[in-house]
Amino acid sequence: MESIIATQDLWKVYRTGKVDTPALRGVTLEIQEGEFVAIVGPSGCGKSTLLHLLGGLASPTSGKIFVEGNDLSKMTDSERTRFRRHKIGFVFQRFNLLPTLTAKENVELAQHIHGNGFNPHRFQMVVEMLGIANRLNHRPYALSGGEQQRVAIARAVICEPKILLADEPTGNLDSENSQTVLNMMRTLNRTLRQTLLMITHNPEAAAVADRIIHMRDGQLIED
Amino acid sequence: MVGKMIVANVLHRPIRTIVSILAVAIEVGMVLLVVGMTSGMLNESAKRVEGVGADIMVQPPGASFFLGITAAPMPIKIADRLKEIPHVQAVAPVLLQFNTTSGLNLVYGIDMKTFDEVSGGFVYFDGGPLKNPWDILVDDWYARSNHVKVGETLNLLSHDFHVVGIVEHGKGARLFISIETAQEMTGARDRASIFFVKCTDPGYTQNVLNAIRKLMPRYQVLSVKEYMSMMTSNSLPELTDFVNTMIAIAVGIGFLVIFLSMYTTITERTREIGILKSLGASKFYIIKAILQEAGLLAIGGIILGFIGTFLVHRAISAYFPTLPVDLTMAWRARAAVLAIIGSLVGAFYPALRAAKLDPIEALGYE
Repeated sequence: MESIIATQDLWKVYRTGKVDTPALRGVTLEIQEGEFVAIVGPSGCGKSTLLHLLGGLASPTSGKIFVEGNDLSKMTDSERTRFRRHKIGFVFQRFNLLPTLTAKENVELAQHIHGNGFNPHRFQMVVEMLGIANRLNHRPYALSGGEQQRVAIARAVICEPKILLADEPTGNLDSENSQTVLNMMRTLNRTLRQTLLMITHNPEAAAVADRIIHMRDGQLIED
Repeated sequence: MVGKMIVANVLHRPIRTIVSILAVAIEVGMVLLVVGMTSGMLNESAKRVEGVGADIMVQPPGASFFLGITAAPMPIKIADRLKEIPHVQAVAPVLLQFNTTSGLNLVYGIDMKTFDEVSGGFVYFDGGPLKNPWDILVDDWYARSNHVKVGETLNLLSHDFHVVGIVEHGKGARLFISIETAQEMTGARDRASIFFVKCTDPGYTQNVLNAIRKLMPRYQVLSVKEYMSMMTSNSLPELTDFVNTMIAIAVGIGFLVIFLSMYTTITERTREIGILKSLGASKFYIIKAILQEAGLLAIGGIILGFIGTFLVHRAISAYFPTLPVDLTMAWRARAAVLAIIGSLVGAFYPALRAAKLDPIEALGYE
């Protein structure tokens, strides 16, 4: 099976004044298409940084990132923007829905930015799968945390991204809602063969994944 | 979709929206009212001079064609020489004065007989012509705005005048006194500031004009048609500067408020911009969305500005009928374009700043 994501000796160093702080220290990994991977590790171990680099939100200090054979580390800012638009879906811990828009409009916005226009068939399929069909006209403040996260997942997958990156998707949810969200993600992975990379602190959440990668001090320590 | 997002943003922050729209409305209103009052006064002033009925105006060298004032009026005997020119039907000498009581008003010191010959005579709404030295005629607009009636005393130029008639507006000035009284008050005995010349036929105007210019080469001699064409703010550099300065201030207000409003909004919405970026929104997409929002605020401001200007215009007409305001479609369009350009320029830097935000930092913004 061909790797959809591959990194080679990936480094990311943040500079504060004259102090260099390495967040990633030579990460090399491969993720196959259709895999559900959980990355676990203590705070500050570089999980989020790795996710941001894989999602094209930042560029590495050194090393290479290949997504479907394209080298992200050589991309310009606008190329990475285009890459995010067409290949990546993000789910965040804090849901990150636009508060002024309804759930439906939040999902539609992703389709609009993607540029392919509104696809009613895909929209209907996703909202029904995520169980938010009857909550679409509500604004985020009127939705529970679980519902908000399901809307965020719908927004992330509506444009059929190659990879779904989830940054602590259950971090702000109670156990019941966490389980619901994890089940949804599992379903997405199983039914749509959605490649999924999830960062989590929660061992129960990580257990849902096919593969668990442990990180510490900017390095992969167990796979 | 972007439209929905923009409208939602505008509605989500009502105070910011109201302040921005008000600022643009003030900008539009200021431009329209400053230009409208300036051109209104010029046009009205020109029409009143045209309403005198003369074909030619003769003024001393260096006189202002706008107000017709000069510190050195001409000898009144010039009228006799002008009357000798072929095709001259009548000559009316006028001594101009300014009254600053209840606004700036031009006072014509006239000789009733010659002024009637040139103008065809006043239309009296009440009372009759000047008979005594301290009599005064006022036009209907002045009478209405100052609540003046025939028989009342009007203190003007530190003298009490007896209002003897209310005449139809449009004959040079709003206030008319006898030329002898005006001469006595100013110490300009036997002098006039301007001669209105009427030809036997308007077709002779150019001939008479040439003859006067030959006779009095240093004097300022204009046909009324020439005068009318010169009565625009473009012919008055100081007025053009004033109008341009006021427009610049108005546009500056709109620009600064939109700039501040959008800048604050961008700061407030940093995380939302991070979300857009994470979804793959390009810099152009973000800039366009912010400029469209500024454009929407500008359109709201323009509409409110038009409504506000209309109401102010109505109020001015009702309470200050002597203050004409010309609101032309051309200037409405210009004011709208200026407001939109000012708003877009004001929003451009905040938009650029938003587009350049680092997505990770933006997403982490509290």
